[in-house]
Amino acid sequence: MAHIPDGLLSAPVLVSGGVLAAAGVALGLRRLDDRMIPRTAILAAAFFAGSLVAVPVGPSSVHLLLAGLMGVMLGTAAFLAVLVALLLQALLFGFGGLTTLGVNTVNIALPGVLCGLLLGPLIRATARPSVRLAAGALAGGLAVLGTGGLVALSLWLSSSDYTPAARVVIATYLPLALVEAFITAAIVSFLARVQPEALRPVAP
Amino acid sequence: MIRFLTVLLLALAFSGPAQAHKLKVFATVEGGEVKGYAFFIGGGRAAQTAWVAKDTAGAPIAAGTTDGEGRFAFTAPQPPTDATVTVDTREGHVASVTLPAARFGGAARATPPVLATDASAPAGGEADARLAALVEAAVQRQLAPLMERIEQLDARLRYADILSGVFLILGLAGIGLWARGRRS
Repeated sequence: MAHIPDGLLSAPVLVSGGVLAAAGVALGLRRLDDRMIPRTAILAAAFFAGSLVAVPVGPSSVHLLLAGLMGVMLGTAAFLAVLVALLLQALLFGFGGLTTLGVNTVNIALPGVLCGLLLGPLIRATARPSVRLAAGALAGGLAVLGTGGLVALSLWLSSSDYTPAARVVIATYLPLALVEAFITAAIVSFLARVQPEALRPVAP
Repeated sequence: MIRFLTVLLLALAFSGPAQAHKLKVFATVEGGEVKGYAFFIGGGRAAQTAWVAKDTAGAPIAAGTTDGEGRFAFTAPQPPTDATVTVDTREGHVASVTLPAARFGGAARATPPVLATDASAPAGGEADARLAALVEAAVQRQLAPLMERIEQLDARLRYADILSGVFLILGLAGIGLWARGRRS
């Protein structure tokens, strides 16, 4: 799952994950202003609570990540939102772990931020609702697949023993990607109609 | 369109039992046999999952795959030693539970529990051993539901934790806004 527990990953993977996460959070912190702080907090809370409701799929279980939505709405501040939510999940519920905090943050936030950078401009600029819906769905789905790929990569880089596990991870992420695509598309279209401002992480 | 999507999303989100995400292992000793099961907090068992039991030195005692209900069982180690049962779903969920050597005290006598009405009651030490095994079995029967209950209570605490987490995040946002307001 997206929350890799302590003791599975090798030290180089943990350290590089931590460094990447620190860089992402530093970028996100510079972005924070008065209108971004409440939005980051609300999305962090949504991610925190959403991750706790998991639906079983085959031998594993999946839960919402909302990374694509965070990427579009927060930009690089998504790193900060994910880090805070993951820290609380690790401390309160023992999901994931403190040593894997950096890796998990990067695994979840990075694909979302990239999707936000790639598809965000299209979502904001287009006047056609159908294009916006499709771009939102793409952002949500791709972010989940990216997370699945990164989790599998982290496991595979740590030990080849985890190769079968990595395959299971990717298989369970396919249905999740579909669900996330629907949810992200719906929320993005809704926000574009009632408050297009919420889709802009940078003040114009 | 949006309405249709919302309905679809809700149907997707709530299809299947909502299940939390942490794997736990429950194990108890019954008449010289260690029995238990692996479950996800909030509901659901870890079925068809690899498990392994190891002693304090890390040497495997027993291993296998859980059944459709997530259950496993193996004979208690002789002589008694701390046994750690680890269940690994091979996709990032690992949980283990350690049974201290003292829990195998009765089982160490290696006397299978017998019915108290057994007419040919042997004399002396063997009778004591049988009685001990019987008491051991009875206590385990009484303890098992209690221990399950404790695990369930543990799981219910998480609702309080969810709320505290959400409000912690909101509090952090408040602190951030306050700090920015002070600086400017």
